[in-house]
This record gives sequence, C-alpha cells and structure tokens, in this order.
Amino acid sequence: MTTIVIIDTLLLLLVTATAIAIIEVRSLYASAMLTSVYSLLMALVWVNMHSMDVAFTEAAVGGGISTILLIGTLVHLPREEKKLKKRLHAPAAITCALAGAALIYGTLDMPNFGDPMAPIHHYRVPEMMSQTVGFINQTKGKQPAPEGFDPYAYRTFNGAVQGIPKDPTDTAWRETSIIAQRGIMVPQVLTPGHEPHHEAGHHLHPPDDFNGHIPNSVTSLLAGYRGYDTMFETTVIFTAGVSLIMLLRRPRREGEAQKSAPMTDQVILRVVTKMSIPFILLFGLYVITHGELGPGGGFQGGVVLACGFILFALVFGRPALYRVLPPRVTDVLTGVGVLIYSGTGAACLFFGGKFLDYSALNAASPGEGEALGMTLVEYGVGITVSMVMLTIFNQLAEEQSK
Amino acid sequence: MTASVLGIYNYWIYVLLMMIGLYGVIAKPNLIKQAIALGLFQTGIFLYYISMAVIDGGTAPVWTTIQDGAQKFEGPYDNPLPHVLILTAIVVSVSVLAVALALIINIKRRYGTIEADEIDEIDQADRLAEYAAGQAFDAADEAEAEAQPAIRAAAAAAAHAGHAHPGSHV
Repeated sequence: MTTIVIIDTLLLLLVTATAIAIIEVRSLYASAMLTSVYSLLMALVWVNMHSMDVAFTEAAVGGGISTILLIGTLVHLPREEKKLKKRLHAPAAITCALAGAALIYGTLDMPNFGDPMAPIHHYRVPEMMSQTVGFINQTKGKQPAPEGFDPYAYRTFNGAVQGIPKDPTDTAWRETSIIAQRGIMVPQVLTPGHEPHHEAGHHLHPPDDFNGHIPNSVTSLLAGYRGYDTMFETTVIFTAGVSLIMLLRRPRREGEAQKSAPMTDQVILRVVTKMSIPFILLFGLYVITHGELGPGGGFQGGVVLACGFILFALVFGRPALYRVLPPRVTDVLTGVGVLIYSGTGAACLFFGGKFLDYSALNAASPGEGEALGMTLVEYGVGITVSMVMLTIFNQLAEEQSK
Repeated sequence: MTASVLGIYNYWIYVLLMMIGLYGVIAKPNLIKQAIALGLFQTGIFLYYISMAVIDGGTAPVWTTIQDGAQKFEGPYDNPLPHVLILTAIVVSVSVLAVALALIINIKRRYGTIEADEIDEIDQADRLAEYAAGQAFDAADEAEAEAQPAIRAAAAAAAHAGHAHPGSHV
C-alpha cells in the first residue's frame, strides 16, 4: 500500500505540473504535445491504481488519437494564442478557489484511499456482479437479488460474519472490525444457504471454478450488467462521427486533385510503417477479441485499429487510404458496429432471453453464451469506434488540404 | 493525521485538476485552449472515480488462475465498476473533443479568428452594423411615410386636374 501511495504522490505532482503548463503555455502546438505527455502520465497513474483497462484506453485515446486530432486542427489555425493583457484572470481565479475549497471541504468526509470498508465496495456492485457473471449450468444472466440478500452483511475471509451499521455516522466499527486490523480479509456479501461464489462478492473473491467464466470483470460489467449503457455510449460515438461529417464534409468535385503531403520520399518512415502496420492491426484485433479474457476490449482495440489506418494515411497520403478504405465503406461501417451491438441484443430476445441477456445464446451452457455475446458486442463497439475515429481524422485532414 | 492526509490526497489532486481545467475554460479566450481545458476538467473527474475503486492490498480486477496448479490470487480485487464508467467516458471525451474541433474550424471559417473576445467584438460590430442599417431603413421608411400626404395630395391634384380638364373642355 505504501508503495502505491508514494508512486501515486510523485506521479500526481507531475500530472498537476503538466496541467498547469498546458494551460499557461502560449504556443498551441506545445499545449497539444503536453496533453500527450499528460495522458501518458495519467495512464501510469491508472496502472498504479490497478485500473488496466482505463490505462489502456487513456494511452491509446489521450496519448494517441486526441493529440493527432489537435495537431491536425492546428495546422490551419493560428499557432499561438493571443497575448493577454493580464497574466491572471482574477474573477476566474476567485471562482475556482471558492469552488475548489468547497469540494475539498467535501472530501474531508470521504473514506480513506484504499479503505476496503468504503461504501462503494459494498452496495450495489456485489449484486451487479452476481447478476452479470455466468457459470456453466448455473447462473442465468440478470436476475433480481436473491432472497435474503443483505447488503449490510459481509463475510470476512476466515468466515466470521460482520455487519456494517446502517447509521452512516457510526464509525466505531472501523476500529473494532477485523477489517481495521488489516489482516487477510475479503469482504463478501453473505447470502444464507449458498456458496459465496455462486451469489455475490465475486469482484472481491475469485470463484473456485473458472470454467465458462469471464475473467475480466471489467468487460463482464461493461457488456453485461451495464450493457444498455455501453450500447448508448457506442451510439454517442456514432453520433460524433455523423456530426463531424455534417459539419465538415463538402461535396467533392469531379477530377479535383487532392492535395496531400505524403512522406513517401522518406525511405525509413515508409519501410518502418509498412512493416509495423500489419502488427498494429493484428494487435487491435487481438485486443478486441480478448476483451473478456484480459485488459482490453472494443474501445481500446478500435482505437488501436484506427491508429494503424491513420499512420498509413500520414505516411502515404489520404488518397492512398481512400483506395484501401473508401469513405463510403467507413461511413457504412460506423453504423454496422452499432447494428451488431443491438442485433446481438435482439438475438438474445429471439432465443428467449431478455434484451442483451447473452446467456440465452447458448441454452446448454449459459457461461459460454455470455462469452460469445460479449465477444460479438465487443466487435460491434470496436468497428464503430475505429471507423468513427478514422472518419474524424479524415474530415479534419480533408479540411486542412483545402 | 498524516495517515488521513495521505488517505485523501488523491481527492485533493482531483479537485486541483478540475479547478485548473475550470480556470482554463473561464480565463482563456482561445477556443482550442478551452477545449483542452475541458479535457483536463474531465480527467480530474476520472481520477476521482478511479481513486474510489482502489482496495488496500488489492489488484486489477482480472481473475487470474492456473487451472490445474494451485496458483491463484485469493483477492481482494479492486472494484471494477468505476473502471467501466471511466473507460467509456474517456472514449466519449475524445468524441467531444472532435466535435469541438469541427465547430472551431467552422468558427474560424466564419469569423477568421478563434479568440472568443475577438469573436464577440465581430459579433458586436455586426450587430451595430445591422442596427445602423435598420436605422437607415427606418429613416427611409419614415421619410416616405412623412412624404405620403404630400404625394397623395399631389396625386389627387393630378387626378383632379385630369378630371377637371375634360370638364373645362366641355
């Protein structure tokens, strides 16, 4: 724990310094490059806090795509911001100081960093996990909480039953509970009459039987319990792609030669790009496919795929990219991804389950049905994300070549 | 006391990052800077969520095991729910950035600048010009309205003269 806190402290100091530099530096190019640095530092912070999926996304999105988009936009904008008369904007500084003081006052009531007894670990999440995770021949997707489910009760690792007081002002239990003694403990929601791993608290204690089980609980929550949410997040990204097309696309005149600045005369760049693109694409597909087995998934894999295509466009020029992937194809594929997602949900309905209840896909083995459904959904997300990112890049770059 | 300060240190940094972002959005007139500052604000919130997910002595919420061997981490695992929320939020934040950039490009096309205060000045000048044009139009209108009786009288006189003429002829 102490190592986490020490690394965390140092990293967050660096992050804060970078954030101040991003705001204060006048050159917009420097600001854009610093956002890349900031995102990579943030990715390290996420890894330090064991949040691998988020770190992956941050590194791919923040360090990669958003910097490319910013620089692509800055090409045809003024490179420096206007010189301000006053260095410090007093009303803004006062507003921020007041709001910050109020928020810091609010944090004084927060549970300590890493406190296993923090309410977030005990309400809702164990129940969500119990309804998400599918076992072979056992749990059947989403169901209401089991009878006798008491979110205030938990079982320590040595089997003792403890309770969290319902009165939030009662903090005496912190000192008396086994948790406070920092022994080997695993809080688990206690459900009478059931083996613990069949019902609840999965995220805190691994089940003994991993067959037909989704190892990456982030993905199983993402595509399972929060399936609706993720579906509409995908729709949001789709909408962003559509709005970029509507805001920036102009009808292309026939025979209009597209200006572009391909770096084809750079031999080293060309050769290295040609060699690395297949591996980038393969890695993207791997990340999407293995989303339910390890860190990664449709969002991260989609961004990695898009990066492969963008690298190709940067080195060989966009006309070459349009020969490989015409805009018409990318436009259609953005919608196809969302369709795959909602189509998987509809297929679950067709097989007699609820919408997005993947366990219905395989009646003989609900666990395998879950894995299948999650993989399909991840592919839907991956296709939409990669094609939208590519569309955004193409539109911003098309603008600059005029 | 030290333990508790370390215990909520992360939450203070989240406030700091959010406020740096908010300051940028309010104080900087440059629209690109504002879009970037909005991103900083968002990462502050991400930090808040992920900090809550950490459990003392925990590890990443990916259940590792070796099927036949005895090697298995018995937990605890970090809370996966905030990870799920933030994972999607990051991708949505890049979509927000992209739409903002597209709008900024359109603004540059229309106004020729991306500084918010200059855009305000141009808008103000446009409004003044519009107002002046409106005033001129109104003045012309009024002049016409004022001239109406005279015009009507002249027309009536002409008509009368026209009527009178044949009469006088007879």
